[in-house]
Amino acid sequence: MKAWLAILAAVVLLPVFVRHAIATEIWIFAIFGLGLNLLMGYTGLLSFGQATFFGSAAYVAGYLLKYYGINLFLALGIGVLVGAVSAAVVGYLCVQRSGLYFIMLTFALNQMFFFTAYQWTTVTGGEDGMPGIPRPTVLGLDIHGPLAYYATVAGLFLVSLWVMKRIVESPLGKILQAIRENEPRAEALGYDVSRMKLVAFVVGGAFSGLAGVLYAMLFGIVPLEAIGFVFSGNVVFATLIGGSGSLYGPVIGSFVFIWLSESVSAMWARWPLLLGVAFVIVVLFFRGGVVEAWARFWAWRAARRAPAGARVDAPR
Amino acid sequence: MRELTRRDVLKLGGGAAAATGLGFPTVLRAQAKEVPMLGLWSFTGAFSDVGPVLDRGMKLALDERGMKIQGKAIKYITRDDETKAGSATRRAEEAVDADGVKYIIGPWSSGVALAVSEVAKRKKVFHYFSGGTEDISGARCHRYSFQWAASPYTAAKTVVDTFMQANPKAKRWHLLVADYAFGWSVEKYIKEVGKTHGIEFVGADRHPLGEREFSNYVTKAAGNRPDVVAMINFGLDAVTGAREIFNFGLTPKIPLIMTWSSGVEELVQLAPEIRENIWVGSNFYYTADTPVARDFVKSYQAKFGGPPGYAPAAAYGMTRMLLHAMDKAKSTEVPDVVRACEGLEVDDLVGRMRVDPKTHQTLRPYFFMRCKKKEAMKHPMDFADIIATGSTPLPAEYAACKDIGAL
Amino acid sequence: MKASLLVSQVLNGLATGMLYALMGIGLSIITGVLNIPNFAHGALFALGAYSLYTVIQLVGNFWLALALAPLGVGLLGVLIEYGGIRPLYKAGHDYQLLLTFGLSLIVTEGIIIVWSPVGMSQLPPPVLRGGVDLGITFYPKYRLFVMVAAGLLVLGAWLFLEKTRYGAIMRAGIEDKEMVSLLGIDIHRLFTAAFALGCAMAGIAGALTAPIRGLNPWMGVDMLGIAFVVVALAGLGNLLGSIVAGLLVGVAQSLVALFWPEASVAVIFAVMAAILLVRPQGLFGIR
Repeated sequence: MKAWLAILAAVVLLPVFVRHAIATEIWIFAIFGLGLNLLMGYTGLLSFGQATFFGSAAYVAGYLLKYYGINLFLALGIGVLVGAVSAAVVGYLCVQRSGLYFIMLTFALNQMFFFTAYQWTTVTGGEDGMPGIPRPTVLGLDIHGPLAYYATVAGLFLVSLWVMKRIVESPLGKILQAIRENEPRAEALGYDVSRMKLVAFVVGGAFSGLAGVLYAMLFGIVPLEAIGFVFSGNVVFATLIGGSGSLYGPVIGSFVFIWLSESVSAMWARWPLLLGVAFVIVVLFFRGGVVEAWARFWAWRAARRAPAGARVDAPR
Repeated sequence: MRELTRRDVLKLGGGAAAATGLGFPTVLRAQAKEVPMLGLWSFTGAFSDVGPVLDRGMKLALDERGMKIQGKAIKYITRDDETKAGSATRRAEEAVDADGVKYIIGPWSSGVALAVSEVAKRKKVFHYFSGGTEDISGARCHRYSFQWAASPYTAAKTVVDTFMQANPKAKRWHLLVADYAFGWSVEKYIKEVGKTHGIEFVGADRHPLGEREFSNYVTKAAGNRPDVVAMINFGLDAVTGAREIFNFGLTPKIPLIMTWSSGVEELVQLAPEIRENIWVGSNFYYTADTPVARDFVKSYQAKFGGPPGYAPAAAYGMTRMLLHAMDKAKSTEVPDVVRACEGLEVDDLVGRMRVDPKTHQTLRPYFFMRCKKKEAMKHPMDFADIIATGSTPLPAEYAACKDIGAL
Repeated sequence: MKASLLVSQVLNGLATGMLYALMGIGLSIITGVLNIPNFAHGALFALGAYSLYTVIQLVGNFWLALALAPLGVGLLGVLIEYGGIRPLYKAGHDYQLLLTFGLSLIVTEGIIIVWSPVGMSQLPPPVLRGGVDLGITFYPKYRLFVMVAAGLLVLGAWLFLEKTRYGAIMRAGIEDKEMVSLLGIDIHRLFTAAFALGCAMAGIAGALTAPIRGLNPWMGVDMLGIAFVVVALAGLGNLLGSIVAGLLVGVAQSLVALFWPEASVAVIFAVMAAILLVRPQGLFGIR
């Protein structure tokens, strides 16, 4: 409950401190991160090609929005659908492999989609991207204004967070975590591990697809980089930095990452160096990300305050 | 998995406040006495080498006026477009909304430019761009965007006419074209102008943008036994292509034409041996012989140590055109400046320059140069000599801008 | 289609293919022994090229630069493995992989800071400039040299792995790490050596490529993807497989460029996906 209050407070307060477009982007990226974290944090599958689903959904929904003027609900639905279907295809190819092969395959398939989008200039616009994506009116409400769109996206983020929470607390979520902890055992217990992984992929893809459509409508353009490897890498960064072991990790990570890329980049053109260094530090020392660092900090404070002799649990 | 606690709420709140202090873009309002201008340059990404020099060019032009225009102070800000359409759109919009920017110069990449042009149209801000796309003054024209670079038709005509004058016997041409709309346009114009010279196009290959492996195209070109190879591409593609054409021994035996080059920025990446017998068409070269150019090159050289390439010159030139328009309009309001810019005619950086009111295309000379042999170079940046300029505008029947629209 | 054109294209394919094989072998050794796909492989390729350039600027000798560049990159590999990858051994492969990902950013930005983002050219040594008339076609000497040099390096790697004791240990490490350490061999030294060797191979591939493609800070980005394709096709740790896969990819790219240039890159990844679907262990892998 407390966590939800904190998040609600953030949603309401953020546009006060931060420009609306940036704030909107943070929640979009958080949705994207939630999708990845179902795979990375909960199932233990390091997918390096999430931009495939994000970008594909953005292109398809963007195309329909631009040339066929579909309404918002249809656009969102199509985004989720394209994200899920592309993830099903990619997932089907990938989940049969494990570890290394899985990672390399997600990367390679991402590259394939990227180069296809790059060369198919008549449809995707290639390097120029697909500009001119409109924001349709919602139930008579005009969401062209930055604040109105922010409200829409923030609302969808809250819904997504709630859905993801339900998923990870459901039996499916428990099974996925079991697979992460000990795959052969999960298999031995009778679970169809490959099928479960595929389900995780599809769900993750659906979230990525939603984020993709919202991104396209945010800036009115589907840029090529939305389907590129760098984007895939960014969401991995953000999720890891936030903390992949927590439901809220991707949310925090989204804040941190977008803050870095907006503020630091204005100060130093070589800011990706700082990003790389931050990442290395997180990987070496704070693998649980901000969430874990935070927890450790408070545990340290608590331990310092505890009277001598008091123990948390007695050794046996 | 940890539940967020009250402490996390505090942290989030504190973080937001700290972030604001640390530079998160906030909702500010520009003062009415200022004229905010945005230089949208690439500081990271594929074109990160040009960001700093573009900045120099625009600053030089603004400094000439003491950072003031029409009695108001000019607020010059730069933003990194990361050579990406998404980032450019974002940062341009942010600059308009948060910093009150009314005038955008840039970006560098033509693909990104189209995205920025959309922002200009949506937000009704003035936008000047220089680069390889016909759409800004063509199919996607609107009242707020202007194009500084010469029309590709002007480029093609200058290149072909001048080259044939110097090499009347070189009738067999092989074309190597970057596979995007601009490349196809230039290809079309070259073939047209070439017809009038009796040129036989023995081959024309399209390569994907960002191609790194040119050996295949070069061997195909060699197979056609051309008298000259003409490349229609830009940046790293052009440099890589030129290098392979040299590696395979085509140059310096036969000439290579770089039809739409940035000049210095590309030539500096090649060694003098590779540059021998390369002919270059460009929107600017620093030995241009106009009073404005001479002064510009002198100040640039004095301040930064080397001659300016096309990038800083374009930034400088566009800023000057904008300032001229403000002078003419006696105002810094966007609609007035737009109207003043339409039909603006000045003797500026590259010579006589006029902005076509119907298409927002700047009609101006295009340069054609020949690269020097290593022995003939007087200093390390002495790449080429300007042989001629040409300013034939795009014929009306090709103009894709049918209706430039209202303000 | 003229025969000379076809021959030229095949030669192109073999030359680039040899470079791909070199990259693939290096990556294959790292992934085989350490079980992590080295996301910094492309950045190290670029570093090798830039090192060659700088050494030539300093001492003017191409051959010396060609020897020193991979050495430098290999040493960097030792530092990376010792300082970054080894501490993460307990944390798991995913984190080691992510470390290499962060490093690729650091190396690339580092190159920009040290050398500037402006692209540069590096001419081949004078003896290798110009071309050779092969009768059927004219072909650059330097590309032939690269074909031969890369081939020799690949042969050297094969000899090392197949015929020497250290090589046998490395192969055993790819097969079964636990057994190797149970046999009393210092597994950590093995990892460091394997990683350094893989990095050195990326370095020399970059150094060899510099006169062909020039230098720019992102020259390794495409190479990374292709190296992954080669390794996936060949099967982890499979040396012979990497050679064949590399050549296959190179020639395929050249021939596809003849008919359908726009697709030449996407096709590579599509083929990789197709093969992995049918034979997950790659064309030649056994596990």
